[in-house]
Amino acid sequence: MVTMFVRLLFRSLSFSKAGKVLIALTTALGACVATSMLAVMFDIGDKVSRELSTYGANIVVRPKSAAVLDQFYDMEGIEAGQPLSEAQVANIKTIFWAFNVVEFSPYLSVEVEANGEPITLVGTWFAKELSLPTGEMSVAGLIGLRAWWTIDGGWIADAEEDMALVGVSAAERLGLGLGDFVEVKGVDGSSARLQVAGIIHSGGEEDEQIIAPLALVQRLSDRQGEVDWIEVSALTTPDNDLARRAARNPGSLSVSDWETWYCTAYASAIAYQIEEVIDGAVAKPVRLVTETQGVILTKTQSLMVLVTALALLSSALCIANLVTASVLERSAEIGLLKAIGATNGAVVRLILSEMCVVGVLGGALGYGLGIAASQVIGHVVFGSWISIRASVAGLTAVLVVLVVLAGSLPAVSQLLRLRPADVLHGR
Amino acid sequence: MNRSTHRASNKMRFRLLRASLVRRRSRVLVELLAVAIGASTMFCLATLALDVPSQLEQELRGLGANLLVSPESELDSALLQETQALIPADALVAQAAFRYETIRINSQPYLAVGTDISSATTIKGFWDMDGEWPSRLGEALVGRDVADWIGLRVGQRIILEGADLDHQLPVTVSGIFAAGGNEDALVVLNEADLASLTGRSDVFDVAEYSIALGGDQLSALADHINANVPGVVASPVQRMASSEAQVLAMLRSLLVLVSVIVLTLTVIGISTTMMAVVTERRVEIALRMALGASNKAIQREFILEAVVLGVLGGTLGVVLGFALANLVSQQVFTQSARFNGWFGLVCVVAAMVLAWGASRHPVSRAAAIDPALVLREE
Repeated sequence: MVTMFVRLLFRSLSFSKAGKVLIALTTALGACVATSMLAVMFDIGDKVSRELSTYGANIVVRPKSAAVLDQFYDMEGIEAGQPLSEAQVANIKTIFWAFNVVEFSPYLSVEVEANGEPITLVGTWFAKELSLPTGEMSVAGLIGLRAWWTIDGGWIADAEEDMALVGVSAAERLGLGLGDFVEVKGVDGSSARLQVAGIIHSGGEEDEQIIAPLALVQRLSDRQGEVDWIEVSALTTPDNDLARRAARNPGSLSVSDWETWYCTAYASAIAYQIEEVIDGAVAKPVRLVTETQGVILTKTQSLMVLVTALALLSSALCIANLVTASVLERSAEIGLLKAIGATNGAVVRLILSEMCVVGVLGGALGYGLGIAASQVIGHVVFGSWISIRASVAGLTAVLVVLVVLAGSLPAVSQLLRLRPADVLHGR
Repeated sequence: MNRSTHRASNKMRFRLLRASLVRRRSRVLVELLAVAIGASTMFCLATLALDVPSQLEQELRGLGANLLVSPESELDSALLQETQALIPADALVAQAAFRYETIRINSQPYLAVGTDISSATTIKGFWDMDGEWPSRLGEALVGRDVADWIGLRVGQRIILEGADLDHQLPVTVSGIFAAGGNEDALVVLNEADLASLTGRSDVFDVAEYSIALGGDQLSALADHINANVPGVVASPVQRMASSEAQVLAMLRSLLVLVSVIVLTLTVIGISTTMMAVVTERRVEIALRMALGASNKAIQREFILEAVVLGVLGGTLGVVLGFALANLVSQQVFTQSARFNGWFGLVCVVAAMVLAWGASRHPVSRAAAIDPALVLREE
């Protein structure tokens, strides 16, 4: 009986080959769409949040006393407190969410005279190599934080302490061009001669400033080892109610809420953890940036989920439709089988197992194609590989089998109602 | 062929078509469904790919300014109006002008900002607000840092004083906001309240605009303002403008690529269905040829069928596709999608071409075989 069934199955599979190939092909295409969409959907959060680091810093760390000070409005009556220590900046890479910290850089700002004109000189890291307490190496600095700058000339290296970048308005005011030298005089009489390595178009306050390596500015202002503020760009989870409550007052959370908050990459949680590793620091999420990133991330994610659902629906209908068409086509054959004594059960078993074989073959092919398609999307849109989650294969397999079986059902139920005599007569 | 036989042959053609549609009801349903799926996928994805980036752009424009206008000496409402007249009204999402002044609370100096609260609500919508925006005069917002420093709570009453301690104004703290930057050290007041404290009114330090224009258009607008309004300097907020452009370009290419992949595969999948259904009609075609139908007549009939399928299935698909796109749009952006009539037409035509293209090969193959051979097979 079983051998008979297997023989029938193989005969029928090899018999109308073209039709089976069509079904396998369609199944493969459906599976391809399903795989690629699911793969992209599961990975889109990571990919988009990496793209969002183009917005630059979303957390700013300041010394405790300066956190209430305003850097560009003069406020008297508030004494400057303990500055942040450059030595502790690298600690940012040791927090719980260290992996989510993409870029960071410390800054020291000092008022100087350049060619006799008063101007703000900002010292920072450009792409400094750090050896972390954990023994790992890391690179941090301004270059990764200012994706939107255009620079005539080029960036400078942290060791080039006789070079500087000049903002476009400052360059105009001081009459500086690329390659020119500028004499910078600190308030206490120390001075340095810097060559202009690049002119910055930032569209912000940096257009009025000179930017130089941190070590040089520390020396000029006699503030060795000190920094004024630190900018951090971190991959964050969009804020929810819990994050908002925590940001207002972490002390108000229950123990389990506090743990959930601490172990989720909310901007406020990352800021809190930075405060833990740098003495006298107040770290704050920059809400304009975190909100913008949150909006983009949640919208893109939900859009992708819905588009994936649509694509799955459409490919499922496609497959089911073709399966229906091809099963209907075989009424004559089924009629004959029934005429020579096949039971309804046997007919259903035959058709369904046939469809399963075709579906599995097509599905496997489509899975491979789908992974290729998702990588095309990854490279064209994000410039990186899409990582394929294990659940993609499982979901695609379940989907294909369900759709193929469900697609056969309406046709099968119609075939069961066939009377062999009618069919064989061609009615 | 005279007119009456022509009419007769037309009549005959329609009878054949109707018969073929009615007799093969389930097959026609399958074909119609296939065409409708194709058209709705096409229309839905295209609508989304066209609509979503601009909707996201709008959403982002609700978050912070992307154009700053500052004065060379003083910015008053006349200059502001002159500036605003140059900004296309349909692109202007929000705007607010701000004046910064030093005030005192408990004799300590703080920086206060005066503005028209109702317009600031939009442009500073990203502030995390504990409490409410001021709804009338005599209410103020304080930044989180100020609140922490003095120990203020929402609803508390405080006395503000002018910088020279010459004026006093009691206000209620209607809300405490956090922006994460320097703004947290500000006290936000209605412009009129600030004027009564400092005696200065109708002078602003900066005006912020949120404008729904891309990077290059925005710079062009800034240049236009700089050239035509003397006394002001307009500059795009490069960080928002260029990052936004980058993110929108990413989203656009993602949607286009996804649409192309899904569409290609859907179209192929649907063609296979159509091919399977048409191949099945080999016998019918052979029989008709044996009865004297010309190859051309058969081709013509299939084109007619494709047109009917395309119009019916395509229209159904466009309606369904728009409903789906609208659903997605509502879910993600709480906005309805825009219906693009031209695109609907393209979809219907594409559905016809699809139906005809998929049947062309099997039909011409069936027509090429000697009818006798096909019929004997039966």
